[in-house]
This record gives sequence, structure tokens and C-alpha cells, in this order.
Amino acid sequence: MPPVVDIRALHKVYEEGPMRVEVLRGIDLEIAAHEVVALCGPSGSGKSTLLNILGCLDRPTSGVYSLGGRDVSTLDREEQAWVRLHYIGFVFQSFHLIPDATALENVALPMYYAGVARGEREERARAILGRVGLADRAEHRPNQLSGGQRQRVAIARACACKPRLLLADEPTGALDSRTGVQVLELLGELHREDGLTIVLVTHDMGVAAFAERQVHLQDGVVVDERRADASSG
Amino acid sequence: MIAGAAVRAVSGIGSAFLGIALEVGSFGVLTARLARRLAPPDFDGTELRKNFYRMGVRSLPIVLATALFTGFIMTIQAGVVIGRYDAEGLIGWAAGFVTLREVGPILIALMFSGRVGANNTAELATMTVTEQVDGLRALAIDPLSYLVLPRVIAMVVLLFLLTVWGDLFALIGAAVMGEVMLGVSRHVFLRGLLDMLGLWDLATGLIKSAAFGLMIAIASCHFGLSVKGGAPGVGRAVNASVVAAAAGVFVVDYFLTYLLR
Repeated sequence: MPPVVDIRALHKVYEEGPMRVEVLRGIDLEIAAHEVVALCGPSGSGKSTLLNILGCLDRPTSGVYSLGGRDVSTLDREEQAWVRLHYIGFVFQSFHLIPDATALENVALPMYYAGVARGEREERARAILGRVGLADRAEHRPNQLSGGQRQRVAIARACACKPRLLLADEPTGALDSRTGVQVLELLGELHREDGLTIVLVTHDMGVAAFAERQVHLQDGVVVDERRADASSG
Repeated sequence: MIAGAAVRAVSGIGSAFLGIALEVGSFGVLTARLARRLAPPDFDGTELRKNFYRMGVRSLPIVLATALFTGFIMTIQAGVVIGRYDAEGLIGWAAGFVTLREVGPILIALMFSGRVGANNTAELATMTVTEQVDGLRALAIDPLSYLVLPRVIAMVVLLFLLTVWGDLFALIGAAVMGEVMLGVSRHVFLRGLLDMLGLWDLATGLIKSAAFGLMIAIASCHFGLSVKGGAPGVGRAVNASVVAAAAGVFVVDYFLTYLLR
């Protein structure tokens, strides 16, 4: 099976006037289907920039990024949005739920933009909320939910359009350790049952240990890769 | 030294002019991007309904109270002159002309800007600085279709409707005060209003109110979305939005008054 993510010689340079900052300096990375990978590294290592490119929120300055066998490194903004809607789910550290929408409305929202009919949207949103253990919280607004419950709603929303790739940016960063473990267990369940490919960005090695493979970045390059069942490679 | 001061003054004027030109240009770009989403309609209906309730229903009591007192004040002020010239028959016309063409739309727009426009900027700015707007983009949800266009449509429609109600209450206030203070009967007030004013007087004010609604909506959304500098930036954005909306309302009023005279 071809890799879901195939990145070759990826560079990202930000230029503003005379300032030139090379954030990514020749990244090569393959992520197989159904794999869970953690991108680790200190602040400024380029992991968030890489995540933005993986999520089609940004374009590389040079290099090739293939998602599901298709080169997506040169897409325009509308094409990127289409790819995000149909192939990628996002989970953020601070949830980013719509404050005045219920859990059900938050989960159903991406499906509205994906053109799913109203009845099916609601049915699917209720089903996903049931899977993340929040069937009885469907009509609650984010401010009526705990942090862990909000992140569960965010995960349900990320999975609403049945993505192939789930990107999670510090998904447990705003949670206490016990709730963080519960959220990781939920991601693990979705990975096992739906075969989701998951990329986590974290600087917490405890969270990184949840992944099957850890990719360590420093100063815009991959400095180390480790599998959960093996040492440095 | 004088030359240096003159250069600094000219530089300051030029810089202020460029700043204003930049904001006006940004208003134009935002308006054009929103107009593109109107045909075919690309906005969230649920958000539109929520905004109608939040912005309209909740603004109604304060707008009506303001309009009623405006009617009272107009009659008290006019009463002195009206009484001096025994021109009680003109009170309906005077109150109607001023209310429908100018005072109603302007006062209600300023009230609306302070209550709804400022709140709208604060909400959007908070969503921007907490990266919720970026979050929507990440989910491939267009913030202009989902967040901004429903608010702009709601503000234009609601200011128009609130002006209709506000005009009515201001005239009721003027008629009541005319009867109580000047002894002008409601029939005389109504006759002055209906005989000497036409539908165009009403239409002029309502056209203005829709234009003011657009001005307030664009200013409040623009400053909300372009906020910089975290939480302190939200306060600055609200301040800039209220000032720009109020100034914009008067500029638009000047041009529309000239064109619709």
C-alpha cells in the first residue's frame, strides 16, 4: 500500500524584507497508512510548520508533498481547502469549538461544507458523539463541557468527514494528565477501529510514546526516528 | 528648524492619509469578497438566524426607548419657536421631516454601532486572537461565509427594520409631548405629518439606514478580523471600529443627503 504521506526534500523559507528564515531544511518523511506518528522537537524546531504543510494550510517553498499519492504541494487555496475538507481532520490544543454552537452543531458543521444533507449530518454527528462517549451531551455548548469533553467533541468534529489523515497539534496540552490519557486512548480506539492515520505534534515524550513511531526534529531537519518497538534508527 | 517642523507636519499628514486610505481600501476589499459570496448565496443560514435574534431582538428595547425620548426632546426644543409664531399646525411636519430624513436613521445607527457593532468587533477579534478563525480555516470552513456574511446581512436588514420601529416611536413621542406640552391634538399632528410629507421622506431615511448598516457591519468585521496584539489588541480593535463606524456613518450621510435631496 502506498504511503499516505510522502515528503521529499521539503524546504520552507519565510522572507520578509531582508530577513530570511529557513524553518524546514530538507525534510524527507514517509507515513504509511494506518500509522501513528509523533512529531517531536523543541520550540522552533519546525514541527508546527511541518504540521501546517501536512494539513495543507501552507505550501512548501520547495520539495514535494504527496498525500494519498497525489502531489498537493502546489495547490491553490481553494484546492487546499477541498483537500482539508475531504482528507484531513484537525485536533487543536485549545479545541477551537464554536462557542455558541452545541456539541452536535460543532460536529455537524464540517459536513455542511462537505455538502452532506441535513438529516444525514445530524444522524452522523449523533453517531460520532456516541462513539466518543458524549451522546448525552449533544445539546450542550462548549462552556457547559469539561476540557476533556471539549477535546472529545473536537475529535468527533475532526472525524466527521471521515478523513484519511488526522493531525493533532498538542492534543493533550490543555488537559490534566488523567484526561490527557483518556483522550489518547480515544485516538487509539479510532486508529484501531477506523484505521485512521494519525500525526501528533508534541513536545511531551509521554504523549509521543503513544505513537508507533517518533520523528524528532531540530532546527528544521529530522535528527532521529524511533519505532515504539525499536531504538534509534 | 522651521523647515524640519514643516517636513514633520507634512509627513504626519501624509502618514495619516495613507493610514485612512489603507483602511478604506481594506473595507472595499472585504465588501467585494463578501459580495462574491452573495451570488450564488454562500452563507450559513443557522448563523444568520442566530444573529437576527442576538442583534435585533435584544436591541429593540433600547432603540425604542431612545427613539421615544428623542421624540419628546424634539417637541420640547421646537415648542419654543412653534409657540412664538402660533405655528402649532407645523409640529407634525417638523417632527416627521427631521425624524424620518435625519435624526431617526442617524441616532439609531449610532446606538446600533455602540451596542451591536462594538460587540461584533469584540467577538470576532477574540476569535481571531485565540486562533479560532484559523481553526475554522483548518477545518475548510470559510470564515467569511460562516462568520462574517451572516453578521453583515443581519446588521443591514436589522438596522433598516429598527429604523422603521424607531421612527414610529419617535413620532409617537413627539405627538404625545406636543399634546401634553403644547396642546396640539394628535389629529393636528397627524394631519401635518401626512399632508406635508411624502413617501420619499420615509424612503430617504430608510435608504440611509441600510447604507449605515453596511458601513457599521463592514467596519466592525474588518477591525475584528484584522486585530493584532493579543488581548490588548481586542480593546484597540473595538475602539477603532466604533470611531470608524461613527465617522463613516456621517460621511455616508453627507453623500446620501446630497444625492437624495
